[in-house]
Amino acid sequence: MSELPPPTATLPPPLPGQGGPPAAPAALSGMIAVNAVSKFFGSVVAVSDVSFAVNDGVTALLGPNGAGKSTLFRMMCGLTPPSRGSVEVLGFDPRNDRDVRGRVSLVPQQDALLDHLSAASFLEFAARTHGVANPEQTAMQALATVDLAEVGPKPVGQFSKGMRQRVKVAAALVNDPEVLILDEPLTGLDPVQRRHMIALFHRLGDEGRCVLVSSHVLDEVAKLGSRVLVIAQGRLVASGDYRDLRELMDDRAHRIRIGTSDPRRLATVLVDRGLVSGLSLDAHNVLVDTLDVDSLGRQLAAISIEIGVRLTEVSPLDDDLESVFRYLVEGR
Amino acid sequence: MSGRGDAQIVDRGFQRYEGRRSGVPGAIRSVSWEGIRSTLGLGRPARTKIFPIIAVVIAYLPAVVFVGVAVLIPGDILQPEEVADYPGYYGFIILAIVLFAALVAPEVLVSDRRNGMLAMYLSTPLDRRTYLAAKAVAVITTLGLVTLGPPLLLLIGYTVEGAGPDGLDGWLWTLVRIVLSGMAISAALAAVSMAASSLTDRRAFAAIGIVLLVLASPILAAALVEGADLSPSLRLIDISTMPFELVFRIFDQPGNFPELSTWSVLASNIVWTLGGVAVVWWRYSKLVIAR
Amino acid sequence: MTDVRSTPTVKGRHVAAGAAVGLTYRIVLRQLTSRGRIIGLSLLALIAPLSGWALGSANASLDDAVRLVASVGLGLVLPIVSLVFGGAALGDLREDKTLVYLWLRPMDRWPIVVGAALAAATLTAPITIISIVAAAVLTGAGHGIVAGTLFATVIGLIAYVCVFTLFGVWLKRFIVWGLAYILIWEGFIAQAGAGVARVALRKYTRSILVDRTGVNLKLADFSLTTAVVVPLVVAVAALAIAAWRLSNQDID
Repeated sequence: MSELPPPTATLPPPLPGQGGPPAAPAALSGMIAVNAVSKFFGSVVAVSDVSFAVNDGVTALLGPNGAGKSTLFRMMCGLTPPSRGSVEVLGFDPRNDRDVRGRVSLVPQQDALLDHLSAASFLEFAARTHGVANPEQTAMQALATVDLAEVGPKPVGQFSKGMRQRVKVAAALVNDPEVLILDEPLTGLDPVQRRHMIALFHRLGDEGRCVLVSSHVLDEVAKLGSRVLVIAQGRLVASGDYRDLRELMDDRAHRIRIGTSDPRRLATVLVDRGLVSGLSLDAHNVLVDTLDVDSLGRQLAAISIEIGVRLTEVSPLDDDLESVFRYLVEGR
Repeated sequence: MSGRGDAQIVDRGFQRYEGRRSGVPGAIRSVSWEGIRSTLGLGRPARTKIFPIIAVVIAYLPAVVFVGVAVLIPGDILQPEEVADYPGYYGFIILAIVLFAALVAPEVLVSDRRNGMLAMYLSTPLDRRTYLAAKAVAVITTLGLVTLGPPLLLLIGYTVEGAGPDGLDGWLWTLVRIVLSGMAISAALAAVSMAASSLTDRRAFAAIGIVLLVLASPILAAALVEGADLSPSLRLIDISTMPFELVFRIFDQPGNFPELSTWSVLASNIVWTLGGVAVVWWRYSKLVIAR
Repeated sequence: MTDVRSTPTVKGRHVAAGAAVGLTYRIVLRQLTSRGRIIGLSLLALIAPLSGWALGSANASLDDAVRLVASVGLGLVLPIVSLVFGGAALGDLREDKTLVYLWLRPMDRWPIVVGAALAAATLTAPITIISIVAAAVLTGAGHGIVAGTLFATVIGLIAYVCVFTLFGVWLKRFIVWGLAYILIWEGFIAQAGAGVARVALRKYTRSILVDRTGVNLKLADFSLTTAVVVPLVVAVAALAIAAWRLSNQDID
């Protein structure tokens, strides 16, 4: 993804009834372009007026369970049509354009495989149904990619959940996809395989593919990369680099730990100069909350010299993804 | 909620249940009721109600028609029993009952094994025995809708029209016979359909197995008795006919196969019922529940 | 890990219709071929020859033999075996949520439906044709009934399999609806009169049997042409609707 579109997301999400009717936005473009998409199941609104565009590289779709991630993925693959709006993948409608389906792959969330087939046969079948010229060789390569070459002849029905997950990922690779959509692909994997898989996704992204990965596990997403789309209750809450998103959260104090030789004295000066909105102390640290992290950063060193205290550590405590997610999704 | 001074925790994501616990009987009631609800499509989209409604309509429609005929044609000309008597009524609705059985037991039993609910149920006060008892209650109760309800409607209709059984004794005795008949049919079909449903993890196969058993056994019995000229006792293998034959005997009528003794018909029903129960128990006692 | 870029580059390709039919046929055939299903349905199908033998032992007339083939063979064994295989051809994939592995591919929809129906017919044919024709032979009622039974079974098989393949694509409880069609519609409602019988496949197979044997069966008065053409048209229409439905339905 070379660059995310201009802020289609607002922070925090607008409350119902706030503001006038939105002006019709210009259609977004990208390897995946989701334009004003809503999806209703009867009276249930699964996805509500979501717009974003994604290009090459790894992007994480982040959201709590039931946020609408899988529904969005299903619309991107054409498995279900949007109730409103449009989805384009590589410039085509994934539901109605036959050939674009050969350029896209999905790792579905459900643990469903053709259990009576061996892993090799399943991948060979996947390759053949994509019209791949050399299906046997492609299947073996894909199996090796996910470290399952040795169990190729075994039926997938006998596989553990982690192995089945890897078979699904391998099946998604056989067509050399330009767009790879992975719905909770790390579920059931052990830490080593999880690391391998994340490295694989990064490599695929670096090769110029659009790799979109969903997860509700923040730790996983942080390892997948910094570009996120955050979805909650069917609405797109934010998009972009989560560190940039943290900067945008200007109504929320930054929490910083300052290690120092004299915490009490430093704390007094910081309060006097109005640089912090709250603080706490222990024997070696001052924990400060500040709304103006730039001013604090500029003045901290000078103050320490001025009052003769030594600084041993300055660490931001809440610019991680979890903090951003808590703020965006849970409002705290 | 907890508090200290003015502070209080108003809500938490998870709270321990502090209410009354109803134990195993309550769990059985809940599981049975859920089974009945899911089978009849209660609280589910309209499309899930279509088939139960069709089966129920087919089961009750003749009763409504017969009561209507009895009302329109004076009793002196045509006695209600000549329109349709209680045991004979089942002959009109046997297909609806079979189809309903093919719908009910697979829905009640197979779904739990496929979607992992069985493991959840067995983590409650229920064990395999009480779980199956709850499911049996659900299947028998739901089948009662088409085995017990229509003849009861017939009894009420005839009674209101003034053509019901003579005297209170006669009326109560007829009621008891109707209830016994409905229970006997429900028990036999429930056991057989639950046995078929315990042997496969696909509702479709279970449904087809039930229908095949019910349709194939009379053909087989007829071939053996009429074609091969073997003993008439071989009719007793017919699961489709024997429950309804027992109903005739409950009403003191000779039925369609008078050559069979009432005791042998009763024994056939008991064997089918207990056989079904044995298959279900054997299957579930061996079942490895992975999730 | 191996570099996945070493796999052939294949931009914008699609799978030809013939290949798609073949791929679907093979995968569905394998999915449908379970030991329990084959044994169970073969045991069911045995009812037909068993009944034929019983009738033959009693020196039954041609009329009785035709009635037996029409009721047990064409009325029960043929539609039920077709329902199990036809409905499950795509219905099982839907239920297992594995249909996505066929649907999300650069293939047209109609070859998927045709391949699945062919797979179902491949398994339905030997079980039904052997058992029903054997029933006709065992009645000992002559060659006319055997040829007529074979003809009616083949035509019925094509129509039933295609219609039930549509059921499997469209209906979640395809077996229960299929049974309702066979037992309630064909077995009960369609017996009520010639009008409703027109929309029961059983009437057409019975008509073929009547045409070939000269025996008079109730509600079986179509000409041979009508009795052959209409089921085939219904089969094609069912597959077309199934393909349309497959294109437009939500896939899990």
